[in-house]
Amino acid sequence: MIEVGRVCLKIAGRDAGKRCVVVDLPQKNFALIDGQTRRRKCNIIHLEPLKEKLKIKKGSSHEEVVKEFKKIGIELKEKKKEKKQEKTPK
Amino acid sequence: MPKPGYRSRTYRRIFVRTPGSRNVVHYKRRKPSKAKCGSCGSQLKGVPRELPYKIRGMPKSSKRPERPYGGVLCSACMREKLIEAVRK
Repeated sequence: MIEVGRVCLKIAGRDAGKRCVVVDLPQKNFALIDGQTRRRKCNIIHLEPLKEKLKIKKGSSHEEVVKEFKKIGIELKEKKKEKKQEKTPK
Repeated sequence: MPKPGYRSRTYRRIFVRTPGSRNVVHYKRRKPSKAKCGSCGSQLKGVPRELPYKIRGMPKSSKRPERPYGGVLCSACMREKLIEAVRK
């Protein structure tokens, strides 16, 4: 069930309830996920596989994942870049 | 006998030794009980039990865990509800 390209729902952690896609399976129990969550490693116990499957290659970049999600109908918001605050002299 | 307002069991009595070597009684309020999960009733983690004057000064992120339904449902119940909603 958990394979490269499978759309999953994350059920644990601070990004629980968000949709993601499995990009790579580096170890037996870990998957690299990307999507509405941050691009990170995650235990497959914390993923609930859904019906949809995306056509992506192993190790795709974030932009390719955004494009494929649009085809299903899930828009991924782009994060605003943090402004670097200048230190004011006391 | 303490004054009527202090006879309630929501106050606890503490014996204090003053600098003048007297033993006096001080009355302090008890803390509220631990928070419980909304669906299974088990104790919630990450929610402090303090009197309101201390809770008001704390930042929001130190009063509940940083996940959906944090501070309302325990992690096991939250997972069940998410999976139920998806499998419909």
